Amino acid sequence: MTSRSYLGEFELMLLLAVIHLGDEAYGVPICRELESHRRRNVSVGSVYAALDRLEAKGLIASALGDPTPERGGKAKRYFRITKEGLRQVHETRRILTSLWKAIPEFKLGLSQEE
Amino acid sequence: MPRREPLPLASWTLEHLASGERDEALAGDLLEHYRAGRTDGWYCRQVAAACLLSWSRSLAARGPVLAFALIWCLMAPAWQALVESIESDLPYNQIAHFFGPLMLFVLPAGWTALHAAFLWVGLLVFRAAHEFLRKPLRESGMRRAFWLTALILVPTAFATFVFEQLYQHTLPILAQAKVAATSLGQIADLGIRANLIRIPYFVALAGALWGTVPPARFRQTAPLLDNGPDRASAESEASAVVSASGAFTTKRFLAFLVAAGVVNAMIGALVFCRLPDSIPSSLSTLLFRAIAYIAIGATAGALGAYAYWQGPWSPFRDQPPLPFPLFALVCASGWVWIPSMVIFFEAISAATALVAIVGTFLLVAGVRDVTYFTLTPAPSKSFSHPHSEAELFEESLYRAPGDATGFTIAICLFVAGVALANQANLIAAVLLALGAALFSWKRTIPRGQSFESQREYRKAALRLALVLVPSILVTSWSLLGGVDQRNRAMQSDGATGASTRSNSKHSSKLQRISYGTGGYESVILWPYPEKSKTVQPIAIPGPVFALPGDRPINIRFDGYYTYVQPPNKLPGPHAHQAHGTPVDVDIESNNAIPVVMEAHQIFPASIRAAQVGHIDIEIENRDNRPGPISLGLLLTGTDLREKRILYLGQQPIVSTLPGRFIVKTEPVIETLHFEVPAATAFPSLTGLNLLILPDIEHRFVAPKIAIRQFQFYPR
Repeated sequence: MTSRSYLGEFELMLLLAVIHLGDEAYGVPICRELESHRRRNVSVGSVYAALDRLEAKGLIASALGDPTPERGGKAKRYFRITKEGLRQVHETRRILTSLWKAIPEFKLGLSQEE
Repeated sequence: MPRREPLPLASWTLEHLASGERDEALAGDLLEHYRAGRTDGWYCRQVAAACLLSWSRSLAARGPVLAFALIWCLMAPAWQALVESIESDLPYNQIAHFFGPLMLFVLPAGWTALHAAFLWVGLLVFRAAHEFLRKPLRESGMRRAFWLTALILVPTAFATFVFEQLYQHTLPILAQAKVAATSLGQIADLGIRANLIRIPYFVALAGALWGTVPPARFRQTAPLLDNGPDRASAESEASAVVSASGAFTTKRFLAFLVAAGVVNAMIGALVFCRLPDSIPSSLSTLLFRAIAYIAIGATAGALGAYAYWQGPWSPFRDQPPLPFPLFALVCASGWVWIPSMVIFFEAISAATALVAIVGTFLLVAGVRDVTYFTLTPAPSKSFSHPHSEAELFEESLYRAPGDATGFTIAICLFVAGVALANQANLIAAVLLALGAALFSWKRTIPRGQSFESQREYRKAALRLALVLVPSILVTSWSLLGGVDQRNRAMQSDGATGASTRSNSKHSSKLQRISYGTGGYESVILWPYPEKSKTVQPIAIPGPVFALPGDRPINIRFDGYYTYVQPPNKLPGPHAHQAHGTPVDVDIESNNAIPVVMEAHQIFPASIRAAQVGHIDIEIENRDNRPGPISLGLLLTGTDLREKRILYLGQQPIVSTLPGRFIVKTEPVIETLHFEVPAATAFPSLTGLNLLILPDIEHRFVAPKIAIRQFQFYPR
C-alpha cells in the first residue's frame, strides 16, 4: 500500500472526467469536459502531465487505442479509473461534503446576497 | 476537401524538441483539436506549453543528476591541471618510437581516456551513492553512460576549444582570465576560464547520466478494445518490426565485419608494407613490390573478416546472409587500396585522403550492391496490397522522414578541407572516407531485381579486376614518393643532428616548459652552471670602466632569460628556475595569455655611457617558426645614484623577416646594430635588458633566439 496522499483540485476534476466519460476517456474529450465545466481553456500538455502523475500514483490506468486519420495516424490513449482511484474519489467527496456541511450558509455570504 | 494541417514548424517542434518519451497520444489529441476548429495560435501555444512542461518534468526528475554533475565538475579545473602536468612529463619521443605510425591513434585515445577517467570515477561514485541510498537506477543506462561520456566529451571539448580560440582575443574578460595556481583554488575558482574548462565535463556527465533515471510510469501498450482486424494488423506490424530489427542486427554486424577487414588490412600494411631502402632499380621490381603489398592488404583484410565471421558469437556462422567468398571478393576492391594509403600517410602526403575516398567508395558501393536484397526486409502484406485502406492512409498521413546524410557529407567535406589545409591528413582521410561511404551507401542501387549468387560473383570479380590495375599504379606511386620523401627527411635530420651536437653539449637534455594550468607562472632561465665556471666574462677593472679609445670591446652574454605572462612584468616568487638557453628548451603558453621573453645582462662594473657610440648585439637564431621578430634594447644605468633606463628602440632580426626566413638545419648568427645618443642622460651603464618582440605566431611559443655577445664601440 502506498502512502496516503490527498488529491489536488485539478486531479480530482480529471478523475471525475475520466469516470464520467467511461470508455471514451482519452485526451480530447477529457479536455472538452474540463473546459465545459470550468468555462476556460486548458492546456493539453498540463492535462497529460496530471494524468501521468495520477497514473504513477496508481489511480488511473492507460492503454493505447487504434489510430484514426483525423489524428494524423496517431493512436489514442484511453484512460480508466482504478479501484484505488475510485476509492480516493469517494474519500475526497466524503471529506469535502462533511466540510461543506459544517459551514453555515451565512458564513458563505449567500444569505446576505439573497 | 483537403484536411487542415497545423504549422509545420509547430509540429516539428512538438515531435523533436519535447523532452523524454515522444507522446504520440498528445500529438494526436492536439491534431484532433486543431482539425475540430482550433486556430493556429492555439496550436502553437499548446505545443509551447507541452514542450515546456515536458522539459520541466524531465529536469525535475533529473534534479539529483544535474546537481551531482555540477558538484563533480567543480573539480574539473584541478583534474585538467593534473592531466596537463602528466602530459608535459610524458616521454613523447619514446612513446612515438614504440607505437610508430599508430601514434596518431594512440594520442587521441590517450587524451580521451585521461580526461574521461575523471568522469568515469564520477559515474562510479554516482552509482555507489544510489546503491547506498537504495535509489532506483536504470542499469542499461548506467552501462551506456560509460562510453557515452567519452563520446560526448570529445566534441564538446572541441567546441569549447574552438570558442575559446575564436574569442580569446576579442573578449577582454576571456583574454585576461586565469586559473588559480593551487588545486583548492582551482576547485573554488568560478572565473570564466575555469568554467570554460568545466563545461565539456558537465555536458558529458549530465548527458551520460540523463538516461539513468528510471521512467516515472509504466505505460501499457496493448490496445484496450478487442477488435480482430486491428489485432491482426498489429501482429503483422510486430512481425515486420522483428524482421526489421533482425535486418538491423545483420547490418550492424556486416558493418563491423567490413570495419574489421579494413583495420586488419591497415595492420597488415603497417607491419609488412615497408618502404624499400632505395628506389627500385627497374619497373618490374617496383610493380612486383606493389602487387605484393596489394596482396598483403587484401589477404590481411580477408583473414581478419573471416576470423570474426566464424567467431562463436557471430550470427553469420549459422545463417550467413551471403557466402563469405563473395563478401571477401567484394571487399577486396576496397582493401587493395589500403597499403598505398598507409604509405602515403607515412610520407605525410595529402594523397592519403584521395586514396581513402576512392577505396571507401568502391568498398561501400560493392557491399551495398551485394547486400541490397539480402538485408532489406520484405514489406508487410498490409502495406503491399495495392487497394488497401492502409496504403491510402499511409500516403495521406505520413510525411517522408528527414535525411541528414547530405548535411553530414557537407560537414565532412568542409572539415576535411580545413584539415588538409593544416596537413592533418589522417583526419581529412577519415572524414572524406566517411563522406564517401555515406554517399556511396545512399546512391548505390543494384541493377538486378533480386539476389543471384552467380551473377554477384561475376560482378565482384569484374570489379576487382578493374580496380587492380589502378591500385597497383597508385601503390607504385606511393612507394616512389615515400622513398623520396624519406631520403630527404633523413638528410635534413642528419644536418640538424650534426649542427645540434656541434653547438651544444646539452642538446640531449631538451626540456619542455609550459605556462598556464598545469605549468609554471613564470620561468627564469640561467646559463648552464659549467659554462659559467669555464667561460669568464670580460674582466673589467675598477668600479667604472672606460672604453679604450680606438677599438671595441666584446662582452660575452652570461645573463639570464625571463619568461612571464602579462600583467606580470617580473618573475614571481614561485618562478620555475632552470639552466639552459632558449635554443635548447621549448617554452609555450598553456593558456590564452602570451609569453613575454626578455634577456638580462648585468655588468660587473659600470661603463661610461658617454664613451659608447653604438652597441652591436650578436644573436643566435634557431627558430623554425615563420614570422618577423624584433629585438628591443633597454640600457639600465645610474645617474647620481638614481636608477635610470634608456630605450634605444628595436631592430628587426633579418633572418626572421618574410622573404629571408628559411627552415634552419643549423643556427643563423646575426648582428644587430643600436646607436647610443650622444646626450645620454646617465653617465654609467650597469646593464642591458633585451626585449624579444615577437609577432602573433610567437606570442604563445617563445622564440628560439639566444643572445651571444655584445660589442661596445667607442664614440
